[in-house]
Amino acid sequence: MLNKHQIVQTLKLSTLSWFALLILIFTLIETSLWFDKRDQKAEFAENAEEIEHIYEEQGPRAILKELELTHRPKWTDNEAKTHLLEEGWLVAGFRDGKLMLGADTDLPTADTPTWFTLSLEDDAPIQVLTTTLYFNEYAYAHFWQKQEETQRLNGVFAYKLLAWFIPLSWLILCILFAIITRRDSKPIQAIIGQLDAVAQAPDSARIKVETTNPQWQALGQSINTMLDEIVHLHNNMKTMSVGIAHDLKTPLSRVSNRLQSMYQDIEDAHALHFHLEKANQDLTHIITTFNNLVRLNAIESGKHIQGFTVFNLSELVNELALSYQPVFEDSGRQFEISVVPSVQCYGDRDLISQLLCNLLENALEYANNNAQIWIRLQSHTQSALLQIGDDGPGIPDKDKHKVFDKFYRADISRSKPGNGLGLSIVKAICDVHNAQLCLLDKQQGAVFNIEIPMP
Amino acid sequence: MNILLVEDDLDTAEFISKGLQQHGEIVQHCDNAEQAMLLASSSEFDVIIFDRLLPNMDGLDAVRILRASKVTIPIIMLTALSDTSDRVAGLDAGADDYLVKPFAFSELYARVKALARRQPLKESSLEICIGELKLERTTRQVFRAGKEIELMPKEYQILEFMMQNPEQLITKTMLLEQVWGFSFDPKTSLVQTHVSRLRNKIDKPFVFDMIKTVRGCGYLLSRQQDAE
Repeated sequence: MLNKHQIVQTLKLSTLSWFALLILIFTLIETSLWFDKRDQKAEFAENAEEIEHIYEEQGPRAILKELELTHRPKWTDNEAKTHLLEEGWLVAGFRDGKLMLGADTDLPTADTPTWFTLSLEDDAPIQVLTTTLYFNEYAYAHFWQKQEETQRLNGVFAYKLLAWFIPLSWLILCILFAIITRRDSKPIQAIIGQLDAVAQAPDSARIKVETTNPQWQALGQSINTMLDEIVHLHNNMKTMSVGIAHDLKTPLSRVSNRLQSMYQDIEDAHALHFHLEKANQDLTHIITTFNNLVRLNAIESGKHIQGFTVFNLSELVNELALSYQPVFEDSGRQFEISVVPSVQCYGDRDLISQLLCNLLENALEYANNNAQIWIRLQSHTQSALLQIGDDGPGIPDKDKHKVFDKFYRADISRSKPGNGLGLSIVKAICDVHNAQLCLLDKQQGAVFNIEIPMP
Repeated sequence: MNILLVEDDLDTAEFISKGLQQHGEIVQHCDNAEQAMLLASSSEFDVIIFDRLLPNMDGLDAVRILRASKVTIPIIMLTALSDTSDRVAGLDAGADDYLVKPFAFSELYARVKALARRQPLKESSLEICIGELKLERTTRQVFRAGKEIELMPKEYQILEFMMQNPEQLITKTMLLEQVWGFSFDPKTSLVQTHVSRLRNKIDKPFVFDMIKTVRGCGYLLSRQQDAE
């Protein structure tokens, strides 16, 4: 059913539209009556003109004939009014200011056709037309004509109908609006119900809106997009917590073991030294992880953007690639550098350096022992295209979307060094530079493509 | 060396003081910026170690004020903020070096020594000679015992930095900052690889090794053969 707010809204709306409707109907009736009266007035004026014409051509007798009067009647005021009511017309002819025929009455008169309202003692007031014809210097006549009966009845009927319509229409409008409001609120009721269900388990369900209203459909879609994002963030957090927990637990438990071993070997200076060194290594690993997390947050916060400058990306890539060349050679891999000169870039030099290092480190870490690794830089219409790739073994297709997630590690055992933040940092750096980062499909190895917008 | 340590965290202060004293240095500790500025302008120190976050005053402002009052003692800043922009701000304020917490004591000590012994003239001189090694800056030529050695650009930069700081511990982080300009740690063997290539050229064909590894810390350029 409707709630209090909806009832108030419905009443407000229906009353408002009811008023509007009444004004409209009233205007329609009045206009229609006005048109009728105008027509009758025009006809009356025409008739008067005709009578004037007859007088000029055939004299006063002809008028009597025209009015179907056999003698020159004289009516008292009461007789005159009765005549007007029954016959619908009345005349009063004067010569030298003296009544010659017709009504001896004090009904209002006018020189041109004019409507007036005549109040009668027993009956309802009626509308009467009047005019005066001046035949010559001495003779003139007043004419009266009552409003045509059908017209009068029309008016009366219309207003009677309106009187009935007033309360009835209000009731109908209220019911109509109540129905519309109820129907309109159905989708939102449905959404509320479904959201309550989703709140229990965001993974479980999505909003379905059964309506043709595009606004509600759009709302449903927006909520679903939001839910997807929430689930994504939730999963990210899960991966991160597990990652942090794991990355801390392993070295911390190793440090704890070391400390216990130190108790045991407390007399042996050489062993103590060894334990200390190992414990220090493990703690360094933890600190590195935290430093990377802090760094990642700083990059994601976008605080570097104000320090962006235009610099020569080709030089930077060349310098770094040449620095890494011996490292790759020593590891038994081949490293190919292909850099188009003078490619410019708008960004943070330090961050781009880290991006390059992290991707090269990634190749060093995961590429096959005799792999071919390459770095290429070329320019495109509006962007610099950077590619860093290797020819094996690559990342399984099913895991490709996860490689940029925080703490994701290709080796589940986490046996290799590193903390699964390297590629997340790469992603974050690309994001602050509005650069497109993708891991190419259908490659032998891992091939990263980066498109950095040019200044 | 006479070192002023400005650090409000007592545990850290003790850790640094003890380490420095074990190496025979004289340490004066204070825990606030006002006292530090008073001490710095009244006594003779070789190096000031300045914590960035102090009660009442940002270490950066303190350094700026010191520099404005013509105190030229080398300053190394310590901070927990591991970001480049903060690093740049620190150097802009007038600090000579910047170290992020947590750090290894050996790293701090290496930097303190490098700062204390820095001789401005040496950096701009056209020729540096360390024992058998000679480096000519104008031609970028390197000789050991009169024999010319060809170096790659990065190898040359590493050697130049080492020769500016002979007999001193040079850490991996210092090399990353000085030679590559990195404020982050790329973790792999980038530095090791280049140093090892440099060694192959500088040391291998000769009687003794001048570049020595300080295990777990870094490298050291020595004039003479070890006594062992």
